[in-house]
Amino acid sequence: MKHRNKNRIVDTIVTHIVLIVVCIFFFFPVLWLIMASFSKSGSIYDLEGFFPKSFSFTGYQKLFQDTTMYDYPNWLKNTLFVAVFSSLIGTILIILTAYTISRFQFKSKKVLMKSTLVLSMFPSFMGMTAIYLLMVNFNLINQLWSLIFIYAAGAPMGYLVQKGYFDTISNSIYEAARIDGATNFKIFWKITLPLSKPIIVYTALTQFAWPWSDFILPNLLLKNKDLWTVAVGLMHLDETQFTRFAAGSIFIAVPIVALYFALSKFLVAGVSAGAVKE
Amino acid sequence: MKKNQTLTQMSVPVRASLIIMGLGQLCYKQWIKGLLYLSVFAGTLLYMITTGIKDIAGFFTLGTEETDPWLGTTGDDSVIMLLRGLLAFIVIAVFLVIHASNVRDILECDKKVRTGKALPGFARAVSIFFDRKFYIAALAIPVAGVLVFNVLPILFMILIAFTNYGGDIVPPKLVDWIGFDNFRKILSLAEIKDTFFRILGWNLIWAFTSTFLNYFGGLGLALLLNKKCVKGKSFWRAFPILAYAVPGFITLLAFKFLFSYGGPINYYITSNGGNAIGFLDIDAGVKAKLIGLVVNAWISIPTSMLLATGILSNMNTDLYEAASIDGATKWKQFTKITLPFVVFSTTPVLITNFIGNFNNFGIFYFLRGGLYMDGYFLASDTDLLINWLYNLSIDNNYYGIGAAVSLIIFILTSFFSLLVYVRSSAYKKEDTFR
Repeated sequence: MKHRNKNRIVDTIVTHIVLIVVCIFFFFPVLWLIMASFSKSGSIYDLEGFFPKSFSFTGYQKLFQDTTMYDYPNWLKNTLFVAVFSSLIGTILIILTAYTISRFQFKSKKVLMKSTLVLSMFPSFMGMTAIYLLMVNFNLINQLWSLIFIYAAGAPMGYLVQKGYFDTISNSIYEAARIDGATNFKIFWKITLPLSKPIIVYTALTQFAWPWSDFILPNLLLKNKDLWTVAVGLMHLDETQFTRFAAGSIFIAVPIVALYFALSKFLVAGVSAGAVKE
Repeated sequence: MKKNQTLTQMSVPVRASLIIMGLGQLCYKQWIKGLLYLSVFAGTLLYMITTGIKDIAGFFTLGTEETDPWLGTTGDDSVIMLLRGLLAFIVIAVFLVIHASNVRDILECDKKVRTGKALPGFARAVSIFFDRKFYIAALAIPVAGVLVFNVLPILFMILIAFTNYGGDIVPPKLVDWIGFDNFRKILSLAEIKDTFFRILGWNLIWAFTSTFLNYFGGLGLALLLNKKCVKGKSFWRAFPILAYAVPGFITLLAFKFLFSYGGPINYYITSNGGNAIGFLDIDAGVKAKLIGLVVNAWISIPTSMLLATGILSNMNTDLYEAASIDGATKWKQFTKITLPFVVFSTTPVLITNFIGNFNNFGIFYFLRGGLYMDGYFLASDTDLLINWLYNLSIDNNYYGIGAAVSLIIFILTSFFSLLVYVRSSAYKKEDTFR
């Protein structure tokens, strides 16, 4: 008995040491960036080590006031516009697709699933090069709306996680509703949607985070400086603008991090909420 | 009634609909439906006569007349012609699908009339369709979106892979079909061939290592946090979630700054009398690769941790109790219960992760970006095929060769993942875990 107890204590200690190491690994770069964003000078060369010697808000002030070269407020506005609308449209499309594929048996289902899989195996750039060429040819470059369409339309390709969620909802609940004479649309609206809050939240969040932090498409399609998103803008900051970069990064990371934490219970636990116990 | 009627056995309206869409429906006084089909028919016909046929011809020639600035003539734009030809084929395909639905519809009407049933009115037919064929109604918009923004560009690029588009040959110059020449160049032209195989080797190592690292890192972390002795789970979990929530490009740029010459790591090295190290320089070699792996782990482990946590919380704990009563060790419980369950539920994700890592553009684009090394054709030793593709097609306009490289990437990734996917039980027994 004593031997067992000792083992358990050793196990607990080792576990916690590993956990602490892991947490430092994940936290340190973030901490570094946060501290650097409050540094007094702008360049990374003046930091002298990980953390600045004196702190101030100049980094953030410059971000919003000194906008002649780097118009951060405008980048933020563009990013928000694109992210909100792509998330809205994309979420609707994904949920609809995932639910339909999970719930219904139809002839072309396997074909559909296989072809999405095949499509997702084409390197993303292949489509993007084409989209770039097409948009240049049709003069659709430098349009925020074209970004939204591309994000939202591509979203249903990643339906698998959501399908997995809908698979966990038992079929018997649908059959019961069907016997009661509910139409398929009504079932979706009245039964499925309320049951799938966690996955909707998860989807909306990931669909928001993607355009929020994507750099490839905007970098490709937005050549006009006024239309830059934050990602593109921050990419153009070099070592001498390090504090501005850090402040700008922290500023757009904070809302999304806050969102993730506020909704983390959806992210982690929510994936299993079957209504019928079998 | 036999399902396959011969033409002579069909009623007049059915035969009418076979030739002119919607005509049969009109015969049965299905006005709105009939007119809708008829207008689709007329529209397609008009399109084909006015531009469709010309576009298809242009698809094969890709233009015959070059723009001549001296004479002031505007010639053909090959890329536009290719695209319009593609569009014409798509219109024909869509038309055939609609025509099939038209035939199905008229046969059904016919059957109802023969058996003496009343035909439903248009509004009623729509609502019946919407309910019984809910999946078609629900999937129409997503599928259309994917077709326009994913399938069409991909088809376009597949076609480009067989042309000499790119380099000097961009409109107004005429582009031509060249068959498999681009592929031949990649596999035989000395400079390109060497680059391709070097990058491919590294790309495979990278994809396997990083997928393995991230997957088991995440699973291990989830299991660690699931331990009974860990108190305040949400506190510990907060750190990886923080890393998960920080947008990827910020992480990547921050790491780049961290390892840069002016960055803190080099500051400590130089202030202790060492020489600054170019961690990500052109001659960094293995250092840059390792940094890439670590940075990728930093970004991806939290995601797979969250996934594993979700799946573990779904697990039936009775199994463990039964197993410990039977005297199974912790390790045995892990390999016999946890691992099979987790791997079973995550096979599709594992494939996605593998492909994601194989095509992980961001890591080395941000960490090193646009370095061209000796011995490589427009690439560096950390570049993956996808980075090379970017360098080729976006930065240097080698569209044809770039498209051929993307097809090769596609063939490789689909080969690996179809192998896993078809064998995986998650696909075979789609309904087991309901």
